[in-house]
Amino acid sequence: MSNGALDRPTFEAIESYVLDRMDALEREAFEQRLAGDATLRAEVELERENIRAVELGGVARLLKGIAAEDGAQASGTNWARYLKYAAMIAVLISGAIWWSMRPSLNERLFAEHFTADPGLPVAMSATADPAFADAMVSYKEGNYAEARAKWSPLLQAEPMNDTLLYYIASAHMAEGDARAAEPMLAALANEGASVFQAKARWFLFLSCVRTGETVKALAIPLDADTTYGERVRLIKAQLQE
Amino acid sequence: MLRFVPAVEATADIAASPAWVTGLRRNDAATVRALYQKHFPAIKQCVLQNNGTASDAQDVFQEAVTVLWMSVKEGRLVPDADPGGFLYRVAKNKWLDVVRSAAHKHMKVVHNDQVLDHRADASDDIEERIARLRDVYDKLDDKCRTVLDQFYFERKDLATIATGMGVEEESIRTIKYRCMMKLRAFRKSISGEDQQAT
Repeated sequence: MSNGALDRPTFEAIESYVLDRMDALEREAFEQRLAGDATLRAEVELERENIRAVELGGVARLLKGIAAEDGAQASGTNWARYLKYAAMIAVLISGAIWWSMRPSLNERLFAEHFTADPGLPVAMSATADPAFADAMVSYKEGNYAEARAKWSPLLQAEPMNDTLLYYIASAHMAEGDARAAEPMLAALANEGASVFQAKARWFLFLSCVRTGETVKALAIPLDADTTYGERVRLIKAQLQE
Repeated sequence: MLRFVPAVEATADIAASPAWVTGLRRNDAATVRALYQKHFPAIKQCVLQNNGTASDAQDVFQEAVTVLWMSVKEGRLVPDADPGGFLYRVAKNKWLDVVRSAAHKHMKVVHNDQVLDHRADASDDIEERIARLRDVYDKLDDKCRTVLDQFYFERKDLATIATGMGVEEESIRTIKYRCMMKLRAFRKSISGEDQQAT
């Protein structure tokens, strides 16, 4: 083995031989040179070793890369598994929260059947009671508190006016304040001469359903009413299940 | 006329060799990946059963694949060798070396077959050779490694490497030559030291 430099053509010839990139004629010629040249033989072995060292470095790099990919996949798999469990737990927690927070049967029945009274038609130019009509406009616009505020002075003047009682109670009901509506509705429910009796009984019934006064609701005589009877019987049946 | 050891890949039996042998001879990444996916789980389980970690399993498996690769390159395997058995044996023996070391004296080793009992394979000299070659490779700087790795390991041609690195093909050819001459000089210096020592 020479300690001097190896020229590039010789280096590349050896490289071609070691990497098996010579054709048959080149190989034969090269091997003939090898047979008579111990220095060349030593150079071939040295270059073979050096190439093997480089390949070994490549193998190490490749294996590290594969291991890293495998680790990333395993990590991803674990993460996906944890996500799955987290999702299951989230669903269970959501279900538990929904179950504990869900509306009661009474609240659900009220929400299912209550519809705010649409109010009376208003023709401002033709009305004889513009103050009442003005409040009714507010009511029909959904401004229930404003309507009540306008109707209250009128009710003070006429405490037994069934129209005022009913619509002030209706405004309370529409606002979700059933308890405030109940005294007025109870008064009308017993007023056989009022055109609002059946409506008042229906709202009183719904108010009692909502507030959980089931016994009181069941006692309200509305089962035979042609307008509300069927719904009342249905609700009562559900309350009694 | 004298006949010499065939060139690295110039083995007459390539066509008759199993695909994994042919693949390792060609440094085929897909072959290495397939060996990893097929045989790593068993070795990982073995290491984990014997107080090792997944990282330990990776280390011994990578060493075992390297020994297998080197054995194929050197024509040291019998033609019908089972790569799984080879990898398992080498990896287990490597892990046993670790377990028997001072740091792991008190570990209890789970023996589940005879291959644990002794190092019956002839991989020791291969491993010494691997260690020597690693020393050589360590002498290369990053630039040399990048070029030589692509040319000798990945078997890319000079034009492809040059395009990838944004330089002229002739530059790559020169870099390759100079880097290999560095390795040659290093080897010759070692050889010289050895001769002086003797």
